Amino acid sequence: MMNPSNLIHPSKPFVSPLYSTPRVRTNFTENIAIEGRNLSFSVGTRQGKTIPILKDCSLHIPSGQFWMLLGPNGCGKSTLLKILAGLLNPTDGTVHVKRPRSFVFQNPDHQVVMPTVEADVAFGLGKFNLTPDVVKCRVSKALDAVSMLNYMQRSVQTLSGGQKQRVAIAGALAEACKVLLLDELTTFLDENDQIGVIRAVRNSVDSSREVTALWVTHRLEELEYADGAVYMEDGRVVMLGNATDIMNFITTRQSAYIKEINY
Amino acid sequence: MNFAYRPITTVTFPCLPLNPNPKTQIAPKFTHLRSLNKTHIQVKPRLSHQIRASASDSSQTPWWVNVLPSKAFGAEKFLRLISGATASPICQYVSEPSTFLHSVDPRIKLVWLLALVVLPARSHIILRFGLVVYLAVLSIWILPRHTWMDQLGRVSLISGILFITLGLGSDGVPPLVQLRTPPPAMIGLSNLPASLGGYSYLIMKLGPLHFTRKGLSVASTAACLTFTVFQSASLCLTTTTPEELAFALRWFMLPLTRLGVPVAEIILTLMLSLRFINLVFDEVRNVALGIVSRRINWEQLTMMETLDVFFAYFRRIFTNIFSHAEQISQAMIVRGFRGDSNAHKIYLLSDPSIGTSDIVSLLSLVTVIGASVLSDYFLV
Repeated sequence: MMNPSNLIHPSKPFVSPLYSTPRVRTNFTENIAIEGRNLSFSVGTRQGKTIPILKDCSLHIPSGQFWMLLGPNGCGKSTLLKILAGLLNPTDGTVHVKRPRSFVFQNPDHQVVMPTVEADVAFGLGKFNLTPDVVKCRVSKALDAVSMLNYMQRSVQTLSGGQKQRVAIAGALAEACKVLLLDELTTFLDENDQIGVIRAVRNSVDSSREVTALWVTHRLEELEYADGAVYMEDGRVVMLGNATDIMNFITTRQSAYIKEINY
Repeated sequence: MNFAYRPITTVTFPCLPLNPNPKTQIAPKFTHLRSLNKTHIQVKPRLSHQIRASASDSSQTPWWVNVLPSKAFGAEKFLRLISGATASPICQYVSEPSTFLHSVDPRIKLVWLLALVVLPARSHIILRFGLVVYLAVLSIWILPRHTWMDQLGRVSLISGILFITLGLGSDGVPPLVQLRTPPPAMIGLSNLPASLGGYSYLIMKLGPLHFTRKGLSVASTAACLTFTVFQSASLCLTTTTPEELAFALRWFMLPLTRLGVPVAEIILTLMLSLRFINLVFDEVRNVALGIVSRRINWEQLTMMETLDVFFAYFRRIFTNIFSHAEQISQAMIVRGFRGDSNAHKIYLLSDPSIGTSDIVSLLSLVTVIGASVLSDYFLV
């Protein structure tokens, strides 16, 4: 359980949240794809203490857009994403994410469950009742989007980290989900592949009005592909807005920090 | 003092020129010392680099000294061996170059595999060796050069060892038996005549060992069976994807669903474990690499500390594997698996159409089975 003192007298954040949302839920409008209100998450340690990881996070991401989730290491980005994906239950607060949604893990070894590329991409389609032809078409389309079409018959074991990552993304794309939750996909990729993957996601968002993507990263240069971004720090959503605002905000923060340490 | 030294010098010096080859006298002493020194060094691994330098130039050290395991190097070597092992210990599917075996229906391949297990055990010796030659030729034809050299080399080594040990071991040393009846010479009968057809139970004599008909039969069966089982399995695995094999298995097992066998579950489990085996090997390798890269000074560790490192190693492997399993189960949930393998379709994208290669393969299968059946009647 969340420590109540934390809610009443929160430890002072670097910057106070710019957006504070009332606890009362307003109408869930059609054009919001991902919405989290006053999300809190804490874990209990063996000593019986509770450690808050997310503190009163609120965010809403409009449908049909590509957003980024930024923040330093250990600020709770992945935890927030897992809550949005339904893998974790928040201690407090409400989540609304359009269905169907899909989640891609940071480590592709955790995501790829079948021994061959083709079968793995098709695995997510098992819940729909499709004919083999449709499945084949979708699989090859998804693999084409991440430029892995020549690897259909390859064993997953023989692929490099980046290639496995792209197979995992293809698996998510093949499902044709309305919401894509992507956790630091570019960790294992080289520069070319990073841009390739980000373009693939961008394309799938652009090709349909329905698809929304939330991309966790800490590479600032990826921000230019995004429509908007959420900046987190120390378990709080510090800022959310369009990409340029966030970019400016982070660069001023950085220069202030550099000034401070040089002083 | 002076007086005490003198006799020694007078004794030793004249002694040397008298001896035509002084080395012969000194040498044994030296070698003794040297070999002692070496065995001593061997125990102390800190000076181990000297062993290698001296191993080549001296013939005095017994060769087995260098083979003796030394603790510190054992641990290091062991971990290096693991970390350097190949990523795919079990025969890996080779997609390029695509041959006609790739296009043969996986169901036919499974029947072939079954036939190749049953036939060598039941048929004539000529057919047994024929199957071995057939498989070897097929592998050489189908597989890339380094793959078949590797596979055939290993398999023939195993079956060769089996052939020799069983051939000589099963009936090689006939027990000395005293007949109860007196030998034919004593009761006035002539000896048993030798076979007219050239038949002889004894095929070859190697010193005290006999290579007999029984030995040949046992050895050829075991060696050929080993060869065909291993080689046909690896040939099948290198030309068939796991999905195709699973598809074939599912096709054969489908009638069992009427008896309540959870076929879908078995197939899903098979596929997941095929993926997981590789993850386990990866994990074992990576953790070993992690330990090697720490550059542990094994020579300074005591026995218990070395053991401690190894226990830490095994513990790490297990925790990593369990966390992997947990993550994969999470991934399956995220990707829409709801725990019911009948509801979650697994698409094994292989087209079941029958092509010419399938027909050729089936025909040759029928021919081989027919030949083995007929061989029992005609070849004796």
